[in-house]
Amino acid sequence: MTLSHDVLVVGAGLAGQRAALQAFRAGVDVGVISKLHPLRSHSGAAQGGINAALDPKDSVHDHIYDTVKGSDYLADQDAVEVLCKEAGPTVIEMEHMGTIFNRAPDGSLDRRAFGGASYNRTIYSADRTGLALLQGLYEEVGRDPKIHIYEEWDAVDLVVRDGRVQGVVAMERKSGKIEGFGAKAVVIATGPAGRVYGKTTNSHESTGDGCALAYRAGAYLKDMEFVQFHPTCLPHTSILITEGARGEGGILRNAKGERFMERYAPHFKDLASRDVVSRAIVTEVKEGRGFPDGTVHLELMHLGKEKVETKLQEIVAYARTFAGIDPVVEGIPVYPAQHYMMGGISTNPKGETNIPGLYAAGEAACVSVHGANRLGANSLLETLVYGKIAGQNAAEYAKTAAASTLGQTDVDATTGRIHQLVERKEGELPAKLRAELQSTMDELVGVYRHPDDLINAVTRVAQLKERYQNVHVADKSSIFNLNLVEAIELGHLLDLAEVIVTGALARTESRGAHVRTDYPKRDDAKWLKHTLAQITKEGPSLTYLPVTITEYQPKERAY
Amino acid sequence: MTVKVAYYPGCVAQESGRELDMATRAVAAALGIELVDFPTFSCCGSGFIDEANMTLNIALNARNLALAERAGLNTVMTICSTCQGMLTHARHTMKHDAVVKARVDQTLGKIGFQYQGTAVPKHLLQIISEDLGGAEMLRPLVRRPLTGTKVAAFYGCHILRPHDVMKFDDPEEPHTFEDIIKVLGAEPVYYRGRVQCCGFPIQFVKPETAQRIAGNQIREAKQGGADAMATPCPLCHISLDTYQKEAGKAVGEDLNMPVLHFPQLIGIALGLDPKTLGLPRHMVDPQLLLNKVSVSVPA
Amino acid sequence: MTQVTYQILRNDGKGGVPHFQNFVVEIGETEAILTGLIKIRNEQDPTLAVRYSCRQEICGSCAMRVNGKSRLVCSRLVGTETKTHNNTIRIEPMANQPVLRDLVVDQTPFWDRYRHIRPHLILDPANPLPQGKESRMTPEQVDQFRETPRCIACASCYSACPAVGSDPDFLGPMALAKLYRFTVDPRDAAYHERLEGIQNQKLWLCLRCNLCVEACPKDVRPAERIVDLKRLANQEIGKRERGSKHSIGFLNNIEQGGLLNETKLARDSLGLFGMLGQVGKGFQMMRHGKSLKKHPPIQGLSEVQAIYADLNKPEDIKGRERPVGKGVKGE
Repeated sequence: MTLSHDVLVVGAGLAGQRAALQAFRAGVDVGVISKLHPLRSHSGAAQGGINAALDPKDSVHDHIYDTVKGSDYLADQDAVEVLCKEAGPTVIEMEHMGTIFNRAPDGSLDRRAFGGASYNRTIYSADRTGLALLQGLYEEVGRDPKIHIYEEWDAVDLVVRDGRVQGVVAMERKSGKIEGFGAKAVVIATGPAGRVYGKTTNSHESTGDGCALAYRAGAYLKDMEFVQFHPTCLPHTSILITEGARGEGGILRNAKGERFMERYAPHFKDLASRDVVSRAIVTEVKEGRGFPDGTVHLELMHLGKEKVETKLQEIVAYARTFAGIDPVVEGIPVYPAQHYMMGGISTNPKGETNIPGLYAAGEAACVSVHGANRLGANSLLETLVYGKIAGQNAAEYAKTAAASTLGQTDVDATTGRIHQLVERKEGELPAKLRAELQSTMDELVGVYRHPDDLINAVTRVAQLKERYQNVHVADKSSIFNLNLVEAIELGHLLDLAEVIVTGALARTESRGAHVRTDYPKRDDAKWLKHTLAQITKEGPSLTYLPVTITEYQPKERAY
Repeated sequence: MTVKVAYYPGCVAQESGRELDMATRAVAAALGIELVDFPTFSCCGSGFIDEANMTLNIALNARNLALAERAGLNTVMTICSTCQGMLTHARHTMKHDAVVKARVDQTLGKIGFQYQGTAVPKHLLQIISEDLGGAEMLRPLVRRPLTGTKVAAFYGCHILRPHDVMKFDDPEEPHTFEDIIKVLGAEPVYYRGRVQCCGFPIQFVKPETAQRIAGNQIREAKQGGADAMATPCPLCHISLDTYQKEAGKAVGEDLNMPVLHFPQLIGIALGLDPKTLGLPRHMVDPQLLLNKVSVSVPA
Repeated sequence: MTQVTYQILRNDGKGGVPHFQNFVVEIGETEAILTGLIKIRNEQDPTLAVRYSCRQEICGSCAMRVNGKSRLVCSRLVGTETKTHNNTIRIEPMANQPVLRDLVVDQTPFWDRYRHIRPHLILDPANPLPQGKESRMTPEQVDQFRETPRCIACASCYSACPAVGSDPDFLGPMALAKLYRFTVDPRDAAYHERLEGIQNQKLWLCLRCNLCVEACPKDVRPAERIVDLKRLANQEIGKRERGSKHSIGFLNNIEQGGLLNETKLARDSLGLFGMLGQVGKGFQMMRHGKSLKKHPPIQGLSEVQAIYADLNKPEDIKGRERPVGKGVKGE
């Protein structure tokens, strides 16, 4: 059986819902499929805030410059310009939808300091800004039942034929049924792929599904080797402690009590960009100045109980629950963990991919506005700004596109493949292979990248891909078969891991979050360009794309 | 050891549930608790006044606490989970909400009170558990152990929750009442309903739902083998005993479950006179339980 | 690390008889209960169906019953249960929602109630929000939301609620807490309609048992938000529904004598007609020695009445300021 919509959005986090809302407003029929209930999307886990140069003393140009500098000059400056210019209207629109933000005494939107920013321009809602935005947007989308949301459906195949996208084949968790969703245009907004790593702030469901499906269907992935490690995460669980904690005045100290960021970033100190702070922490611990558990401490005690407990409510709870630490009276042990993929499905500033009718937005996409390192509080902004743009352009495309040819044969093809997977009698369980993949990435493709490790990682990922051919689904039920889902997701993770390690090995320079121990310097002459990966039978084939530079010529980056 | 407390019987024990007051006085004497009566105490508001006027509710209970303070008493002994909840809520609010406190202080000042916060409301169950040495203090006093019987405790929500205000026992898996049941010689019945609502708060909103809730709790106790239920809350007692016939109808079962007030249960084991304990004043005859321990209730 | 028995209620979702299955898990006391479930899935039985995602108390996926209590298992630590339960953690799916399989429930009834309250801003077309800039809202106004913005819709409260389980009319803690959030939003123009929309059973069936307060992992304190709503409803709509009549009747009852007059309260709440049904009850009660003789007024009644005179005012009802300048838009 097949369903059809003019525009089909895959993913119902901030980018997906914003795309759906915009396409709907543009007058086309919209469907959204999401493997989670929309309010369970990982967007809700974003803590610190959303950047917008709303204050008259601030300027959009400064926001652009900070973002470009933060990106280590790899961001496309035309795309950054759109992001920053739309920031103000976007935040105001969200406020009008009902989002509850913190307020300044005069009733305006309150702002806090954030990493790599030259001005306090981060609008926030305590330390649950993602949740506040997700609620506001979901409430707005929910106004009109005509935006049909298919909850707990996993996208399994993206169908591209006749030179354009035709739709998606998806599987419903509660029944196991597989259906085709024909669409004139598809927007991929499936968010992060952080579970390529074990030590990640990302949710268990962050498996990069849409990104992998687009890649398999022939879309380019861009800059996948740029992986952001957030400096302040709890040990063991890798639960995120927002940069907002430092924005509110939190300080990092090593075991000797030194405010070590003064040495690494004399001007911005603890609020340098994330790549800089993460490297500093790794260096401190490696050189023996960390605490015995291999961490440094994030201190909030000097801010006072009242401020800490109201503005940083969630992370106080996290520290108390998950680390047994009370941030009001003691430092929080922190260490970097994977947090964000700067790379993703390559799009232009209109949200278009290289496949006609296929659009992407949010963390699954790479426009690129973050380049080699994303600034804090720019990701929520990107989901909304580029979600809207992708939704608008997908709707415009759908208005003139021919009907989708997706049909029963496509559904049957997917069904056959799934059945084959489920009926396999023996093999390795997905959890085992996934654990090996994650430890490979944690150990070999981290903050500092050694060439031998990268070569090793390429080999190991290839071996895992080989073993994946015999992955075993032990659960045979049609109802909520998570074992099947994780087997499918593992396939996605492996494809993306392969692109990450291949790109990282190829890029012989250090830029932003990609740091090669054998090439410690940025090399603009050779590498001021985006990596594009396209699938081939032999694995990812890499080509390169020039960076769009408008106003800001690359210069040395110092914080 | 004796303790002297301001005795806060609450409304029901002074009207339809007088047997609770009778049993309390008898048991308190046996346990060495000296009760000081306050004919000046007003109703706690039972949660309903709180729904109608938050500040007024706090002020009424702050006055009750201030009356005890003025008499130099640090404990206000309640015998009702709801009274215990409301008085504690008031004390908590006066401690943590400066705005409300200022408003209430002003009003109390006009009638000659100065609220100090020294008097602490404590239910009889809590006084035994926390101040008199716990359930074990009863052991030497037991004259007629309830051996061979199964008794299902029914706590009443407000003595337990919200826990961060009440700070007594465990809010969902309490044990203090069962500890006492064991010392009295009976076997406690553990069932989910023991910490749930009796339905009383909506008795006047939607009686059939209230009664179905009560019926479910009694039925669950019965399925656990209970010979009787016992409650530290007279409002629960109304739902479980006074309206048991209706509750039975609501769940389609003849329940016939004796429901005792907390001090009555202690009183029986202490060998006190059933009449003094007010046992004849129940809708469901407690004789069913008493037969098992060879006590008879006079007509 | 210690050995903990996870006793899990299995249900194939296809009509098989639900049964408990034990898994012994090697796990630390400070680890989340969810971690053990994931270990079981990864190492012992990949067929165990369970929803989870963020593992940090923000996505709201993993609510279930832990030793009978509704809890989010990602933030409930192993040690909090094993100490009091003989190293055993009994896990069942949430209550009040049909089970799909194992620990996964169908949340349709929960989301239906959420949608029922119209969970979105309703603006006044005659008084639009300021164009091109944010509407103004003071920190004090933001404070009025109380903890409701923290709600992650995990349904722990819904699972814990005995009123939800007993009466389909009741909207349940989460939906009502969410509704409260809109009633205090200065941008929202449907204050009266919202309060009208939950009258009678939808609001007034809350039992104030506070089980939702204990269940809520985010300290939204839904029962307290429901009391907030009842106060707003009493103020805005007045004595119309039985619930309102009862609480306002109770308030007035105490003013007259200081202690409760049970018969008069029943008359006020049920009305004369309703009381007729209670006559038989009265006789039954008297037959069992349950005197309904009302007690004399308390000593010091004048003090109580002075409190009423001073505090029975609209501004005291909520105990804190009404949202200042309701409907204030922009500068």
